[in-house]
Amino acid sequence: MVMSTVQTRRQEVEQLRREATIKREKLSKSMKEMLDFIREHEQEDCLLVGFSSQKSNPFREKNSCAIL
Amino acid sequence: MDGAVSETEHIERLAREAESLKIRLDDERQKLNDVTLSVVADRLEPISCINVKPRRVLKGHQAKVLCSDWSPDKRHIVSSSQDGKMIIWDAFTTNKEHAVTMPTTWVIACAYAPSGQLVACGGLDNKVTVYPLSLEDDVSAKKKTVGTHTSYTSCCAFPNSDQQVLTGSGDSTCALWDVESGQLLQNFHGHSDSVMSIDLAPSETGNTFVSGSCDKLVFIWDMRSGQCVQSFEGHESDVNSVRFHPSGDAVATGSDDATCRLFDLRADKEVASYTKESIIFGANAVDLSISGRLLFAGYNDYTVNVWDTLKCQRVALLYGHENRVSCLRVSPDGTALSTGSWDTTLRVWA
Repeated sequence: MVMSTVQTRRQEVEQLRREATIKREKLSKSMKEMLDFIREHEQEDCLLVGFSSQKSNPFREKNSCAIL
Repeated sequence: MDGAVSETEHIERLAREAESLKIRLDDERQKLNDVTLSVVADRLEPISCINVKPRRVLKGHQAKVLCSDWSPDKRHIVSSSQDGKMIIWDAFTTNKEHAVTMPTTWVIACAYAPSGQLVACGGLDNKVTVYPLSLEDDVSAKKKTVGTHTSYTSCCAFPNSDQQVLTGSGDSTCALWDVESGQLLQNFHGHSDSVMSIDLAPSETGNTFVSGSCDKLVFIWDMRSGQCVQSFEGHESDVNSVRFHPSGDAVATGSDDATCRLFDLRADKEVASYTKESIIFGANAVDLSISGRLLFAGYNDYTVNVWDTLKCQRVALLYGHENRVSCLRVSPDGTALSTGSWDTTLRVWA
């Protein structure tokens, strides 16, 4: 029991030491890059912007010939 | 007795070091916290209208659908169920191409391999089994058990090729297996409770994956070293689902605490929480649209909520399922969303 506690604690400290060494960036920079990524891919995102025509939707209803 | 005293001192010393490291980490993160997401999101146009409609209902399972995955061909879906079956669907026609009966019920995990020629599944059998798909033969004839955990298999995925499969388990570990030899290639220890979900980083050269666990934590792992390189806390209950943002620089999560969250890997912190007072049920499954602007989340209240990831607002609500939404996936080209539910059906939305 004592041994496993020591081991768990040691693992926790080792994990924290590792995490303390990682390189971080300012939130403003990483958020700007996320924003840029979204802008760059928005037009391909059919669930977001829809299909240019329903014909390009592979899951459109097949017998949807009635345009009212 | 001296030994016991020094052990206690040892524990105390380690606890003190852990505390000071945590304070240092918080300080470091705080220093880089120079903007709020809402300020950044103000620069974006609001989402006008989400026109996602129910397109297909896949009926055939006899019990709760627990997991599903898209084939790389963007047409087929594999699903697994509490009824002990794994079904391969043609989502265009809703036909069942294969139905495989497993030796046990509760097939909790299933995944397509990158080639589309192979699927993996597992569950209460504690195993991960692969099935080569061919139209000529009985799929079960060529099945192969690749790995075994000491508790249930909760999730699985193929990293980069058909040769390896990564699993998460109720035994709190993740494991990387060689499909051909069944050899354990790497073990991932760190979580203190069941691993519920894993996802691979989107980059083809990426050697990292994310895991979410009932210990409320989210870990980022280095697949080669087997080490956890980053961890995120914040959720107040089980983390049921984790998905990488398509940019690879963030992960989205869904939890029993009724929130979904977004954690940024480079800023090393939580950047968004998706929540509403009216949402009190757990989120079981999350995925992002291919630009990363939309977050789809399936909940225990039978709904799928669609969130604007940057403005943190709900932009749509998808009704249809008649029981918990247990799994959900955006198709590989981002044109459709599949959902699976305890109501025994899968649905395709586009």
